[in-house]
Amino acid sequence: MTARWFPDEMPMPAANAHTVGWWEAAADHRLVVQRCTQCAHTRHPPGPVCPRCRSTASDWLELPGTGRVYTYTIVRQAFIPSLQDRLPYVVIAVELDGADGVRIVSNLVDAEPGDVAVDMAVEVAWEDMGPELAVPRFRVAPVASGRKERP
Amino acid sequence: MIAGVATSDYPHLPNMSEHAVHGQAADRALADAGLTFADIDGFATTGFFPMYATGVAEYLGLHPIYFDETNSGGSSFEVLVEHAAYAVESGAVDVVLVTYGSVQLSQMGRRLGTGGGGGGFAPGPAIYDALWGNTLVGNYAMATRRHMYEFGTTPEQLAAVAVTMRRHAATNPQAQERELITVDDVVSSRLVADPLHKLDCCVISDGGGACVVTTEERAADLPGTPVYVLGAAHATTHHLNLSAMPNLTVTPAAQCGPVAFARAGITHADVDVAQLYDSFTITVVLTVEDLGFCAKGEGGAFVEDGGLEVGGRLPTNTDGGGLSACHPGMRGMFLIVEAVRQLRDEGGATQVPDARIAVAHGTGGMLSTGATLVLGLDAP
Repeated sequence: MTARWFPDEMPMPAANAHTVGWWEAAADHRLVVQRCTQCAHTRHPPGPVCPRCRSTASDWLELPGTGRVYTYTIVRQAFIPSLQDRLPYVVIAVELDGADGVRIVSNLVDAEPGDVAVDMAVEVAWEDMGPELAVPRFRVAPVASGRKERP
Repeated sequence: MIAGVATSDYPHLPNMSEHAVHGQAADRALADAGLTFADIDGFATTGFFPMYATGVAEYLGLHPIYFDETNSGGSSFEVLVEHAAYAVESGAVDVVLVTYGSVQLSQMGRRLGTGGGGGGFAPGPAIYDALWGNTLVGNYAMATRRHMYEFGTTPEQLAAVAVTMRRHAATNPQAQERELITVDDVVSSRLVADPLHKLDCCVISDGGGACVVTTEERAADLPGTPVYVLGAAHATTHHLNLSAMPNLTVTPAAQCGPVAFARAGITHADVDVAQLYDSFTITVVLTVEDLGFCAKGEGGAFVEDGGLEVGGRLPTNTDGGGLSACHPGMRGMFLIVEAVRQLRDEGGATQVPDARIAVAHGTGGMLSTGATLVLGLDAP
């Protein structure tokens, strides 16, 4: 259970039959990606049809929750008015480990905005938004002993 | 062919409704073409809610046998003109009026505290960005950061685009921002979404424009200088989620640009002047690469040191673009109007000498749609 980073006024998801699995896994603190069971292509956001082979058959592949920052931005103007007092905040696109190239949009938390860098290793930090909703954000992954992080 | 073009007044229209802007632009474009509303049998426009074109047609008193409302964001008007060109060629319609109008700047002041994205419902896949505080500017910023990471593009190179746009705007009496700026001014302006500074972002304006598309036969009877649509194409890579963008450094221009050029039978060396969607400085850098004026990753070098200025490698956005002249929300129509004016030698202080072939390219959504028009003075 981790701290709230964004206020209650943020928009809430309205899941449909094809996307509810992603949100249910998240509520359980499981980071998953939708995988086509016909051709094994992974996709995000979740949807009803595989964009590669058009199969409607899919499952949810559970991921380790780690990845690397593919790109980022440090938001310094409140385009979303309810986030005015959370500025500056960091939006990242994370290339998730084990997901065959899938990149999800999230936030870097528990770090100074100036710390963010492309290729930085991150790990999921769950934020409980309510009894049925948790949201994955990411923190800097601890450096394994003997391995030097790139600056 | 495009037989008439016009812009409405811009950039600040506090006493006009959105429909009135369409109407003003339409009146002027028809006058420019030497036509009246009685000559119009086709109509196209697009806006932000369904049946938008029908609403504007009603306001203009039109009952067209052809209408189009294709909305692909910033590339919409290039698509609408392409469709109109095919329609008149097919004989399905004779004269298509295409209009655009927006009073988004004036409306912002009237809707205090009700800006979009502040809470409530984010429809469909928008939630995968909205819940993490990501917005359109954030997506363009992230694409910029990736381009910097992969190719070493610098803030100063991006700034060069803004400097050139401002230089062109300085001699446009209608432009929203006309005071000359330096690279240093741009990179010292406040960051809105790092690495994009305020001056890397387009202005927010009221304004509109219109053009008239008709057959070569019909255009021959008209008083002005019509312009050929030599070739056109459009493409989409994804919708709005960055997760669905196949490659953050490649836009749909990479797909539709070469097709449009091939259809027009032109090479890059043939292009005298370009009007390229400049929602942000990065949009132009990506577009010159994807249209093939330079290799992927070399856009930064291409745009710096006056590369986009009249007299430079590729004279671009001779009215000052969205970065300085106006950006009422979807400025694709302005690209078309300015391209036609350049070909007709009406470019004024920023006229490219002997311009005979122009490219207008719109980019929409989150770098998700693109549409290219190749326009020329000479018959194909």
